[in-house]
Amino acid sequence: MLATVHAATLLGVRGHPVRVEVHVDNGLPAFNVVGLPDASCKEARDRVRAALVSSGFAWPSRRITVNLAPTGVPKAGAVLDLPMAVGLLVACGEVEPTSIEGMAFLGELGLDGSVRPIPGALPLVDAVEVDVVVVAPDNADEARLVTPKVAHPIPDLRSLVLALRGEEPWPETGSSTQEAASFEEPDLADVRGQRMARFAIEVAAAGAHHLLLIGPPGAGKSMLARRLPGLLPDLTDDQALEVSRIRSAAGEPLPTGGLFRRPPWRSPHHGASSAALVGGGSAAMHPGEISLAHGGVLFLDELGEFAPKVLDALRQPLEDGTVQISRVAGSADYPARVLLVAAMNPCPCGGSGAPGGCRCPEHVRLKYFRRVSGPLLDRFDLRIDVDLPEPVELLGGRDGEPSSAVAERVASARERARARGVTANVELGASALATAAPLSHEATRLLEATLHAGRLSARGLHRVRTVALTIADLTGSEALIGPDLIDAALGLRIDPFRPAGHGIH
Amino acid sequence: MASTDDVVANEAELPEAGWLTALLGLPAMGPRRLAALLDGRSPAEAWVVVRSGRPLPEVAAVVGGRVAALATEWAQAARAIQPEAVWSATRAAGVEVVAYGDASYPRCLLDDPEPAPVLFAVGRLEAVAVPSRVAIVGTRRCTRYGRDVATELGGSLAEAGVAVVSGLALGIDGAAHAGALAAGGASPIGVVATGLDIAYPVANRRLWNRVAEAGVLLSEAPLGTGPRGWRFPARNRIIAGLADVVVVVESHASGGSLYTVEAALERDRPVLAVPGPIHSPASRGTNHLLAEGCVPLCGIDDVLTALGLVGSTPAPADRRPSPGEPDLGVLEAAGWSPTTLGALSRRVDLPPVDLASSVARLVRMGWFDEERGFYQRVR
Repeated sequence: MLATVHAATLLGVRGHPVRVEVHVDNGLPAFNVVGLPDASCKEARDRVRAALVSSGFAWPSRRITVNLAPTGVPKAGAVLDLPMAVGLLVACGEVEPTSIEGMAFLGELGLDGSVRPIPGALPLVDAVEVDVVVVAPDNADEARLVTPKVAHPIPDLRSLVLALRGEEPWPETGSSTQEAASFEEPDLADVRGQRMARFAIEVAAAGAHHLLLIGPPGAGKSMLARRLPGLLPDLTDDQALEVSRIRSAAGEPLPTGGLFRRPPWRSPHHGASSAALVGGGSAAMHPGEISLAHGGVLFLDELGEFAPKVLDALRQPLEDGTVQISRVAGSADYPARVLLVAAMNPCPCGGSGAPGGCRCPEHVRLKYFRRVSGPLLDRFDLRIDVDLPEPVELLGGRDGEPSSAVAERVASARERARARGVTANVELGASALATAAPLSHEATRLLEATLHAGRLSARGLHRVRTVALTIADLTGSEALIGPDLIDAALGLRIDPFRPAGHGIH
Repeated sequence: MASTDDVVANEAELPEAGWLTALLGLPAMGPRRLAALLDGRSPAEAWVVVRSGRPLPEVAAVVGGRVAALATEWAQAARAIQPEAVWSATRAAGVEVVAYGDASYPRCLLDDPEPAPVLFAVGRLEAVAVPSRVAIVGTRRCTRYGRDVATELGGSLAEAGVAVVSGLALGIDGAAHAGALAAGGASPIGVVATGLDIAYPVANRRLWNRVAEAGVLLSEAPLGTGPRGWRFPARNRIIAGLADVVVVVESHASGGSLYTVEAALERDRPVLAVPGPIHSPASRGTNHLLAEGCVPLCGIDDVLTALGLVGSTPAPADRRPSPGEPDLGVLEAAGWSPTTLGALSRRVDLPPVDLASSVARLVRMGWFDEERGFYQRVR
């Protein structure tokens, strides 16, 4: 007796349709699962058996073979527990084969027969080939976000069988008990002083320029960076779906309102491995922090403490906006368009790093900075120092400008970027930039001189022009890009490597 | 340079300098220990004594209780060294070796309280024989101000025919020689603490070669000697001995240049210190010297006066475009200490965009120097 059940499995952040084929035949009693299952998939045998018996069904003492098709796609996780159980029930004649037609099942089983939620409900429901999906009650809200599909929440195996037999109606909305931790985004008004750094953050938000903050401990680098997501506009519908899909795949509960609408904020610890940052690792190919921050801000505090190999792994995804992870079993693409913000101390000792002002030998300082490679540094369009605030600014002084006011300017700058066909200026290519931001004669000469002096690489030139355009967008200037804007972009681009003795005449 | 008579066939023909070279190649062999060892012996006899591993009571006065272990260590090392091979290798490398008492030994070191028994030289040893020599020393961790002063002094002195003596370290030392080389004039004299085949620090290798080409490089250490902590203060006494006047440009509250000052005072050489901002840690040592009565250096004339050569050199014309508004205000607000963009934004009432472009403009025009995100005014 054969039964086929629709389901899906997660590969990276994308779902792949899977058909679970269950064959029950005479022979020595056995229960085998074939078709590239991973360890937790194989364990399904024990869970399915216990769940069926606990729910009051007889376990067939016959030869059971479960095939997960297509066999080439690796299957991971416990999401196939429920479809295997349903397939067994059909194959044993407990449920009519016709009653599960056009229906897919996604869920983990408890030993008591309860149906438990699974991570990645959103991409999984999206992937199934049929229109009706049965999921755990906690997954129902997420499943319903995939609009044309109908989701049936089901608390346990027993009520599923009753509903399939038509003896009882499908249970009504099982409202989600999980809730995403919602929080207020911190406000820029809390930051006192720091005029230059505030401005740099505004430019970073307006043009999606990567930002490097350099300053001694306690200067407020993390505080400033934490306020950057609050300046970014809401995610568009497409972005929101993409962001929600990634975070669902990572097992994060979605917010009560539905999709994630605000740009994410991720701040991995500097001990992170390159698999944790970029993604991959095991055969399941988990999305990395850079993908979880897609559409939002990836903050790397203590940049100098990250392993150099890990940082260099970020270079290609930062450039392309996607990560491709390849494993023997297959490969997966993750979106990874982030605004990278990093913070580091000017000196390994934690001092201010002023020339002649610290006891660290030059080679120790060089070693600290060499961990950040030149090419990675080149990807930071904005590099600025953050000083310790003055006591006067901390105790007295006015509140800073609130995030809402800055966000308005950012939104109108993004509006101008949209007119150029991109979401932010950083995405502009060379020719688009030339049309969008023609240089004045003096500005061209100035850049020529800077290139000749060896203070700018070819990539740097493009970045400086883009930042100048973003500053023009923020200040509302419409004319050609003049030398002052180019100088402002250069001024926001300090070089923490620039060694002593550059100007020995 | 190496002729057939330089190749020594047997130990008996090895000149005194050859035996001294071998002795100096022993581990932790400093000038004081060597002097104690040579008390009443010729270098060749000393070598035989050391090699035999006999106890060395005469060295105990300098070394203390560790002398037995040291004698064993030396004996072991001496058995592994073939003096004649070391000697011919040194000669083959084009290194000149002058022992104390040789005709070419620098005259100014002859009455030194602790003269180098042997000097190794690359370049023209005659460069030492100019009428006046000035040592320019200072910290490795210097500011832009210190570097500028060192470069400027090195240049003006070389132009005035005064040889610049320095240690070829990072920071002030290197800047002084770079200035002297750029100006031409008197040949530079570099005194280093490693063997002449080991350029240290590596970052100054080019400068090292240029000094050897234009003037002379001196060392007390035989070839193959790497950097050792104790050799730097020892080297500083040679710098002080060679110089007629010692100038300290920048020095932290403690540091190697203060050893040079001590050595200079011991040898009655006048010491001049360059005043610096009271906030600057790199000027703490020099300002302290001034407080103790050291002569302040406020211009090249002060050095020439100390040398007994009064004169003055006109300042070269400034070819930088003059800063306009608001750059002038930013320049003034920056003062003469390293400052950041953030610090400037508190002192100048300019919108951030204008401040950023002003600073970039000043860097481009040569009024500011950027070092690791810090801006420093350039004179």
